[in-house]
Amino acid sequence: MGTGLALAQARAMHPAVIAVPEDQAGDARLLNALADWCQRYTPLVALDPPDGILLDISGCTHLFGNEQKLRHDLLARVTRFGFSARAAIASTIAAAWAAAHFSTVTIIPPGDERELLAPLPLAALRLPQETAAAMARLGLKHVGDIIALPRAPLAARFGIDLLRNFDRAIGCEDEPLSPRLPVAPYIAEKSFHEPIAREEDVLLTIERLAARLKLALVAHGDGARNLELALFRTDGVVKRVTAGTSRPIRDPAAIRALFVERLAALGDAMDPGFGFDLARLSVTRAEPHPEEQIGLGQAEDCAELDRLIDHLSARLGRARVTRLIAHDSHIPELAASALPAQMTATIESGWDAFRRFRTDARLSTRPLRLLAKPEPIVDLLALIPDGPPARFRWRRAWHEVVAAEGPERIEAPWWNEDGSGPVRDYFRVQDKAGLRFWLFRAGLYRDAALAMPRWFLHGFYA
Amino acid sequence: MALRPEPPSPVDAPRLLDRLRQELLSAERAAGLVSLSNPPLAIGIAVIDTALGGGLACGALHEIAATRESETAVATGFALALAVRNGRKSRPGCSGSREQISPLPQTVLWIAEDLSLAENGQLYGPGLDQAGIAPEHLITVSAPRARDVLWAMEEALRCRALGVVIGEIRARGIEHVTTRRLSLAAAAGNTLGFLLRTLPDDEPSACATRWMLAAAPSDLPSPRFHDIGPPRWTVHLTRNRRGHSGIWIVEWNSVEQRFELAKNSQPVAATALDRPYRTTAA
Repeated sequence: MGTGLALAQARAMHPAVIAVPEDQAGDARLLNALADWCQRYTPLVALDPPDGILLDISGCTHLFGNEQKLRHDLLARVTRFGFSARAAIASTIAAAWAAAHFSTVTIIPPGDERELLAPLPLAALRLPQETAAAMARLGLKHVGDIIALPRAPLAARFGIDLLRNFDRAIGCEDEPLSPRLPVAPYIAEKSFHEPIAREEDVLLTIERLAARLKLALVAHGDGARNLELALFRTDGVVKRVTAGTSRPIRDPAAIRALFVERLAALGDAMDPGFGFDLARLSVTRAEPHPEEQIGLGQAEDCAELDRLIDHLSARLGRARVTRLIAHDSHIPELAASALPAQMTATIESGWDAFRRFRTDARLSTRPLRLLAKPEPIVDLLALIPDGPPARFRWRRAWHEVVAAEGPERIEAPWWNEDGSGPVRDYFRVQDKAGLRFWLFRAGLYRDAALAMPRWFLHGFYA
Repeated sequence: MALRPEPPSPVDAPRLLDRLRQELLSAERAAGLVSLSNPPLAIGIAVIDTALGGGLACGALHEIAATRESETAVATGFALALAVRNGRKSRPGCSGSREQISPLPQTVLWIAEDLSLAENGQLYGPGLDQAGIAPEHLITVSAPRARDVLWAMEEALRCRALGVVIGEIRARGIEHVTTRRLSLAAAAGNTLGFLLRTLPDDEPSACATRWMLAAAPSDLPSPRFHDIGPPRWTVHLTRNRRGHSGIWIVEWNSVEQRFELAKNSQPVAATALDRPYRTTAA
């Protein structure tokens, strides 16, 4: 039996055949997870879909003894997960790929690529099916057949890809490797003979790794803005935890404190299973760290505030700890936004510009609290069609309007294709009890033939 | 504390109350509930400051509740206005009556749970700015649940870099232990803490004061369609460890950033202390 066989035919040959529908997405996920796990060997891991993974192990082999030992370790672990895998090591990607797919040679020393490739079929050059078939018709079946041929006619006949792939295999042309994940500028890792599972052990490891990172950070004058902790579980699952800071930090105790909150927030999601056998702490974003100074009051307060922001962000998520930023927009809901406080420590908040605008434009009073989505009001009575409401019902209670300011007309952004909507007339009203609301009517009665105007409640005044 | 067996004479009653309050204050000091270094925050209205014994105790927790859910914005406004006053107080060389207008020099942290943000809206920067509350000194935190609000409040109250921490809670019935923890944290960090409730609650708590806020109709000369005027609130001090309770109608002057007693407001009941002493004990 082989690929391309019809299921009925296969069943006829072997009645016990088990048929499983192909799940490309699932396979891709599995390949991704496996590539994630391969990060324990090198930070430069690339996918070779549908079933391959490329590792750039330059400079990493000594950590495992030598190339042979690294390959052996990798294959042993992958086999233990239940996969059958082949692996080859070469000085070019193409040669390693050819050896892993078509040869029994496992390690190709630099310079031996030609000898290796010569007896292999042309498919080893990663050629499209049609090219390989066309060449086979001409009697060119092995890579060795084309080595001696003149290059120009070959390129003219079969395309430039053939020669480029060959050049890449023998190292005459560079082939870039595009890693799945960006390579962190600072990495520290520790592997354990006995897997660790307790949270205290993980935190202790973090502090030790952070102490090692600190040396490197100090040497380069950097501090960490984003950190990532990767924990490699013995069964191949990789748990990643990230933490951000508002200012570059180096202090191991502070880094540990960040992860205390992150791990507490994750809780059961951080399932250690049978334990982690490798921990890696990487600084995914580093920034120049200003030289430490003995501050007076102000600076200490700043640092303490940053610590609090980091602490809260780590536990609740950075998007939940925010500062208010003013934007240059006349649409009320776009005039201000809440951005993560960790990102906005140094940027211009825009409120000075807003204050100038407010005085120049004599902006009418805005509410203290604004609903993220204006709430429609169905029951509303206005004395004149385009006038303020006289009474309205909101959340099951009727409000008798005793005073109203307005209207303030706000046009929709008509220059924006998707942003255009009905014009809004805003009213500031006060009910009998003294509650103040910000209401608007979307649309005009003039255009009632097209669409009836609707009322909305948008905000509350103090 | 030895109380006399027979009821005190009406003349002695206020004096006795004062003495008991002094004793309570010294006991609180010993327990670390009151910070000594931070002077109280004056509201700026003599009647209220007298009732509070000089002002709102700093390094302590206070409860500010809206009488109804729909008045949450009023309670928010009151809490933020107090935060502005606190920010101005702590500026050096800015004491006395001639206070200059300035934004909050100290950061204010405002924590609210998601449900409350959905129901009552988020703080709106332009509106805050117009109300005299500088948005750049505000950090807002949204928490998924009430217990996360309480956790974040406790962490923030311990931080000395913050001036005021406001935690907005929707749930009723916060345990006494919780408010006591928060009070201790506020004293440790010397921070002013406000527990902002969207609904009033009668549960006992360790808060130094409890305020109930409601909107008050502004003083309108003609009935309809004109300028509404500054924010006006009915401020009801329902619980006070240092003095008597009271109810006032105040306005917030956003330009000069101070409270004013409302003129021409409806009369409110006299404060409890001025009432004749009741000889018949119930």
